[in-house]
Amino acid sequence: MQSKQYSIKVYETTITDEQKFMDFFDSNYTLFKDHLIVIEGDFSQTIQQYLEAKDLKYLHNIVLPKGRTRKALEEELQAEKIDVAVSQQIAQNELKRLSNQLQNNLTVLDEMIRSGRELDIEGDLLLLNRVNSGATIKTSGNLIITKVVEGAIRCHGNFMMLTASPKANIVFHDVEVDNTLLEDRLNRVELKNNEIIITPVLKKEINWAL
Amino acid sequence: MGIVIAVISGKGGVGKTTATANLGLGIAMNEKKCVVVDFDIGQRNLDMILGLENRVVYDMVQVMDEEASLKQALIKSKANENLHFLAASQTKDKSVLDSDKVAKLVAELKESFDFVILDAPAGIESGYEHTIEFADAAIVVVNPEVSSIRDADRAIGILDSKSAKVKKGEDVAKYLIINRIVADMVESGEMLKSDDILEILNIKLLGKIPEDRGVIDASNQGKPVILDKKSIAGQAYTRISGRLCGQKVDMKNIEISDAGLFKRIAGIFK
Repeated sequence: MQSKQYSIKVYETTITDEQKFMDFFDSNYTLFKDHLIVIEGDFSQTIQQYLEAKDLKYLHNIVLPKGRTRKALEEELQAEKIDVAVSQQIAQNELKRLSNQLQNNLTVLDEMIRSGRELDIEGDLLLLNRVNSGATIKTSGNLIITKVVEGAIRCHGNFMMLTASPKANIVFHDVEVDNTLLEDRLNRVELKNNEIIITPVLKKEINWAL
Repeated sequence: MGIVIAVISGKGGVGKTTATANLGLGIAMNEKKCVVVDFDIGQRNLDMILGLENRVVYDMVQVMDEEASLKQALIKSKANENLHFLAASQTKDKSVLDSDKVAKLVAELKESFDFVILDAPAGIESGYEHTIEFADAAIVVVNPEVSSIRDADRAIGILDSKSAKVKKGEDVAKYLIINRIVADMVESGEMLKSDDILEILNIKLLGKIPEDRGVIDASNQGKPVILDKKSIAGQAYTRISGRLCGQKVDMKNIEISDAGLFKRIAGIFK
């Protein structure tokens, strides 16, 4: 790409009185004939014709870069760098806090949830036992239950993992899950575009000997 | 020092009181000193099933309020001298019970008997909570039907959170009796299998009792069915009592009907 760089002189003005403007340019024509005229605000047909007749180059309603000192430029760059660093630090701290929260909020339980019990879990829950008829489990995070569920489940996390539970009442993000779709193995239940997606993940029995 | 066993079920009408009467008598027949206590205050039945209704003079509420001594209130069974009975109050209600009084009564009974069997009221209210509070073990009676199982599950849950033993960090032993099993219905899938019930409740099986028409008549006459040597339910109670007294009695499979059994035998000779 070929390019050339010029420094040009700009005369910036607004037109309040057309006659005065034309008189001013008539008397100072030699001074301004090589300037770029920048006019802020509206101007009439007469002025346009006048400028064209005098062969004056003009631009209308434009913000031109003003000259800055080297020092000012450097300061500006430095400030920008600090800004980026600060925002990166904030993002990193936020991530760290979130991941800490996930770790701290994982509850692991290996006990039968009997009828009448209501578990209200803040965060994720890994349950390695049954949920009996008449029991309720609520989680604000993800939920994994490795044995059969006959009670009620209310999950507000990103996903659930459940085995076949034909007697369960499962509500995921206030939407009731059709539990006939749960196969006889672990199933992942997710919400994508307001639609519940159920994907069987593990085979029914894992042959650990292999 | 004896052992305190609460007989619980959650749901009413599954055979708690019948089981209490029969097991009490069964234990007594094994030469152990046994007392059965009716905790169903306001709705006592155990006296009738034991045939002792017209012998009740003082009840457990009067003993707890020190209006009568324990010795005065205990009634000896006609059927076996090792069996004693303490009646519930028929005029008061559950609100008269409080933990300190119950603790004192249970401790006193524990000193003079090998087995203290408490017949819990149906439901899970304060009367039930007081029955299980100081029990060392619980016998859960269920029928093979879903409503009974769910109520029993709830009752076990409360036992596991409210019992004094659990609060001390110990475990309360829990045993299951499945009552009123009809073999034909289990075979045809109309009735829950005991394996399924055990999976849901996850406690040890103490015994299975078949449905037996003789039980109602026995209760009406005040002669617990265990006294009838020909009754299949009575035989089941004898086996369970033996297990409670530490004998090794094999579990009898009562979930196969005679017709089913015949088919199996015929199958062998095919």
